[in-house]
Amino acid sequence: MIRFLVKRILLTVPTFIALIFLVFVAIRLVPGDPVEVRVGEHGISPERLALLRHELGLDQPVWKQFLDYLWQLGHGDFGRSLSTSNSVLGEFFTLFPATLELAAAGMLLAVVLGIPMGVVAAVKRGSIFDQGLMGLSVAGYSMPIFWWGLLLIMLVAERWGLAPVSGRLDFVRFDYDTPTGFMLIDSLLSGEDGAFVDALRHLMLPAIVLGTIPLAVIARMTRSSMLEVLSEDYVRTARAKGLSPFRVVGLHALRNALIPVVTVIGLMTGTLLAGAVLTETIFSWPGVGKWLIDAISRRDYPALEGGIILISALVILVNLVVDLVYGVINPRILHGR
Amino acid sequence: MAADTLVTLAEEPQLRAPPSGAASLWFAFRENRGAVLGAAVALVIVLVAIFAPLLAPHSPFEQFRDFVKAPPVWDGGTWRFPFGTDGAGRDILSRLIYGARVSLFIGFAVMAVSFGIGVVLGLAAAFNGLADVLITRLMDVIMAVPSLVLAILAVAILGPSLTNTVIAITVVFLPRFVRLVRASAMGERDKDYVTAARVSGVKGPRLAFVTVLPNCLAPLIVQAALGISDAILEAAALGFLGLGAQPPTPEWGSMLADARQFIRSDPWIVTLPGLAILVTVVSINLAGDGLRDALDPKMRRS
Repeated sequence: MIRFLVKRILLTVPTFIALIFLVFVAIRLVPGDPVEVRVGEHGISPERLALLRHELGLDQPVWKQFLDYLWQLGHGDFGRSLSTSNSVLGEFFTLFPATLELAAAGMLLAVVLGIPMGVVAAVKRGSIFDQGLMGLSVAGYSMPIFWWGLLLIMLVAERWGLAPVSGRLDFVRFDYDTPTGFMLIDSLLSGEDGAFVDALRHLMLPAIVLGTIPLAVIARMTRSSMLEVLSEDYVRTARAKGLSPFRVVGLHALRNALIPVVTVIGLMTGTLLAGAVLTETIFSWPGVGKWLIDAISRRDYPALEGGIILISALVILVNLVVDLVYGVINPRILHGR
Repeated sequence: MAADTLVTLAEEPQLRAPPSGAASLWFAFRENRGAVLGAAVALVIVLVAIFAPLLAPHSPFEQFRDFVKAPPVWDGGTWRFPFGTDGAGRDILSRLIYGARVSLFIGFAVMAVSFGIGVVLGLAAAFNGLADVLITRLMDVIMAVPSLVLAILAVAILGPSLTNTVIAITVVFLPRFVRLVRASAMGERDKDYVTAARVSGVKGPRLAFVTVLPNCLAPLIVQAALGISDAILEAAALGFLGLGAQPPTPEWGSMLADARQFIRSDPWIVTLPGLAILVTVVSINLAGDGLRDALDPKMRRS
């Protein structure tokens, strides 16, 4: 058990270092003089160029530069954004709660709707509901979510006026501190009338858009995993004992059917973050996804470099946790290794 | 009477030859109505892409200055521009038809390149310990970066263009193929027929490519089919973000991005390109799912 945990955790270390190395090299492959690119100055004198090269450590060999960069990162220094001069780490963590709130809301929606849908489809296998749901789920995971977002804005926000078009809050009506960065929590803390509802209305459409692909995947996954479990002997025994269908499906079968579903949910973090880039761009949601896209258009390379490393580190960590939890709840994995 | 029956039964197996591989695949495939429908629609889209110059009523680039944002025919427009025109007065139907070329080109190009590189890297990893460590680690890293973020990084380095979209998405998709080839080649590696080949002197690349690879192809083909639709989606997302094919290329994602400003006034300009993406991706996914079920009866009906 301990050996499995330690081994699995140690295995991520080289992945981390390789990740940082690849992003480090990739950013240095960006066309243009590194000094101009990184400092944002054009047409500077040769003396100043030499000075800047020295200041930035660019006159050092590449392996030395990389070790220095690792050293910096180890001390939490991800450099400064070229466009705002703020620390990249600081900017990232200021914006991150917005992305986390959106991702959590989208995932919640997908889980709360997807699992019951999958269960019902499996129990009523071959029915119209089952066929309809499977058809919808193909459409769901084939969805270009940036278009889906525009459609929802067009219909729900513009035509029916049921939701705001963009942002996290109506800042004309409400003005309060955001100590946690999570708008739903902050709006409750502020005690202002209607603030929570307004925050929720802003969150609604982006969460639907971001939750669409996970919803389709979870519903499909739950259905197929449930079908497999329902044909097992212990379920037949439970039925033969005369347990009510609800107990058989809800208690006996669902528990085992959910194991692969939980894993898939965990492993969808990357999908969710990639989706957040598009969703945040469409809804002007001030999170790390939109920030990353803005960093590209501003040619803000330190922000891009730090942002990609931080986001990927997050995905690696979540996958590690999923693996560990999976190993703990399913002992067969431990002994298999 | 009884003798007749016996004779018929005995002769039965000789009357029908066992179905060939392709035929039995088709028998299994056509059972799935969704898959057949998907394959049919996908075929139509491929034909549209091939014959785009014959089918498109106008050039995708020609700007009809007098017909800027003309409505589609069901909304009071004329048959001259059945789907209306965009903000620059270009015929939307023609741009959608040519857009099929761009999207399918990206889909197939990404598949072909990542299939080829994936097979080489995957077999190398399966047959060489050192290569295995390096390649597996590299693929782990690529998989850690969210796909769109990685594609964005690649485009930031290479600069936005159609070719670079293909390269960026290929990098993103490579791990799927490498891992699949590696896993199935490792499963085959110690089987008797491989040992037999080894004993008879086959080794190195010949063993990997000629002996083992043909027995690993089934899951790869499914992955390739389903990957085409993913590549099309990813390319459209890059196009939408302005990082894919550059204007005035008629690419569905960038058509959507252009149309965003008309979301209030002219909804059809926004609706149609997205619908084209959705229909294409759904049809390829349906066909790909059907192919998987037909190739792997164990997965069927689950």
